[in-house]
Amino acid sequence: MENLGRILMVEDDPKDVELTMTALEGHNLANEVIVTRDGEEALDYLYRRGKYTTRSSDHPAVILLDLKLPKIDGLEVLRQVKSDVNLMMIPVVVLTSSHEEKDLVTSYKLGVNAYVVKPVDFHEFVNAIKELGVFWAIINAAPPGSVRK
Amino acid sequence: MARSNIQPRKIQSMIQRYGLAVFSVAIALESALFLARHNFQGVEFPLFLFAMALTAWYQGTGPAILALLLSSVAFNYYFTEPLHTFYVTRSEVPYYVMFILFASLVTWFSAVRRRVELELLGARDELQAEVIERTQQASLLDLTHDTIFVRDMGNSITYWNRGAQELYGWTPGQAIGARSYDLLRTVFPVPLEDIHAELLRTGRWEGELKRTRSDGATIAVSSRWSLRRDENERPAAILETNNDISDQKRREEEIRGLNAELAKWSAELQAANKELEAFAYSVSHDLRAPLRHMAGFAELLQKKASSVLDDKSQRYMTMILESAKRMGDLIDDLLAFSRMGRVEAQMTIVDLDQLVKEVVGEVRQGSEGREIVWRIDSLPTCCGDRSMLRIVLVNLVSNAIKFTRQRARAEIEIGRAEGSEHEAVVFVRDNGAGFDMKYVDKLFGVFQRLHHADAFEGTGIGLATVQRIIYRHGGKVRAEGVVDQGATFYFSVPKA
Repeated sequence: MENLGRILMVEDDPKDVELTMTALEGHNLANEVIVTRDGEEALDYLYRRGKYTTRSSDHPAVILLDLKLPKIDGLEVLRQVKSDVNLMMIPVVVLTSSHEEKDLVTSYKLGVNAYVVKPVDFHEFVNAIKELGVFWAIINAAPPGSVRK
Repeated sequence: MARSNIQPRKIQSMIQRYGLAVFSVAIALESALFLARHNFQGVEFPLFLFAMALTAWYQGTGPAILALLLSSVAFNYYFTEPLHTFYVTRSEVPYYVMFILFASLVTWFSAVRRRVELELLGARDELQAEVIERTQQASLLDLTHDTIFVRDMGNSITYWNRGAQELYGWTPGQAIGARSYDLLRTVFPVPLEDIHAELLRTGRWEGELKRTRSDGATIAVSSRWSLRRDENERPAAILETNNDISDQKRREEEIRGLNAELAKWSAELQAANKELEAFAYSVSHDLRAPLRHMAGFAELLQKKASSVLDDKSQRYMTMILESAKRMGDLIDDLLAFSRMGRVEAQMTIVDLDQLVKEVVGEVRQGSEGREIVWRIDSLPTCCGDRSMLRIVLVNLVSNAIKFTRQRARAEIEIGRAEGSEHEAVVFVRDNGAGFDMKYVDKLFGVFQRLHHADAFEGTGIGLATVQRIIYRHGGKVRAEGVVDQGATFYFSVPKA
């Protein structure tokens, strides 16, 4: 697993973070996962601001983005990422509880790469994460600027 | 034809007129001769004058001149020397001139008097006719229910009909002579100067006034004014007709009130709808998350502790997981159901044939390994929201597959039934578990189920969703069923 890309997870709920991490580990997807807890922190990470000023300049291989976030919500993060020429190449997967069609349509309009409704069933959830992890972090060619270890 | 008729009548009238001249002179002559024979001298002169005056009086100047000529001739012939000749002596000429002048004077007087009298008579007749006509007109104005009154330019009332009395309460005796604005306490919608300016410019004015009746009640009237001018084009009077529009005003006020209330309700409804949307959104996010955590960690626990858990504990874990999943399904279905009521329907022409093909292709994927005989008739096109109608068909066809699970050979039929002129009726029939018609009313209710959870899975929202969608299309749903023999579900939608 030497060449797994870094995953940026934007998720405010620690339980969801833990479940997602477990799911990734359980399937031996030992990517480096950066967890940011709200939209502002996620943007700070991407733009290397605040406490992320000193991080290495490479982009994450994929962003797993929740929609309902404190401060700046997921759709706004998505909008900013997809309208910035430096960031727009990073695949963004919206991972949300919501079945709301409105969110789905808005996300696709903003240029989301995938939209996954978190299933209640843990197996389904694990499968969804697994597929996403495998697809975006391993199989898919990462955009230029992202470093493969 | 007309000409030949008129001609004799004219001649007849001529004979009558001039005949009187001849006749009156003849009578005067006879009388004079008769009186002369009885030694009454000098009466011929006044008699002839009388005959001429009579002729002038009744037949005018022409016959009078004839009478004058005849009288002169007769006088000359019978009463001047030499008798019985037409010889006129020189000494008689002044006498004749006198006679003719005198006779002319009498004739002229007589004719003038006659003409004046005729004119007077004519004027009297005209006046009488006018009086009759005016009286009739005035009584006609009284007959109408409309309020009509006339006031002069000084604003004093000069005419007041019965309608005015009925509307305002004052009798003509009380109203005539009074100043109308004071009597009626008129409130004008615009300055009075503007009204008068318009009245003088166009001769008319129309508007709504507030007035007070004799009993003190305030009423709204629609008022039309017409300006009458005298022969010198000077404004002379204003004729005003009024209609009581108080009731109409009141109704308008009521309607305005109702509209305002409606707008308020509509706003409240919209607010409630927005709130509901926010609520549903929140439910879909926040209610599902803890559920997912419960299920997730329970499963992790089950995995990690499976070696130390006894069978009973294992079963408890399974039940926790199942319940979490069921609650997730319920929330999803309930949200979908609520969304059906909120989302706006996008009406288009829908090819039901095509839609059924798609739906059957999709839902039969879950029934591999089962023997299902499909009978699908040709279906009409209809008018509706395609994605909503798709949900209807998915629900009905999935149900048919689900409830025929215990059949070795399931039969599912989709066809069209007789409907009214404007609607297409589609049915989905199966030979599955069916239901007792006793409970048909419960079939379409939210969370209503006629089968036990362990027999057929489901949340009890599918048919409620079907009904809600069809209602939103202005259609109807109904079901027929027999226990263990199958069920048929009908729905109607507007024809394309």
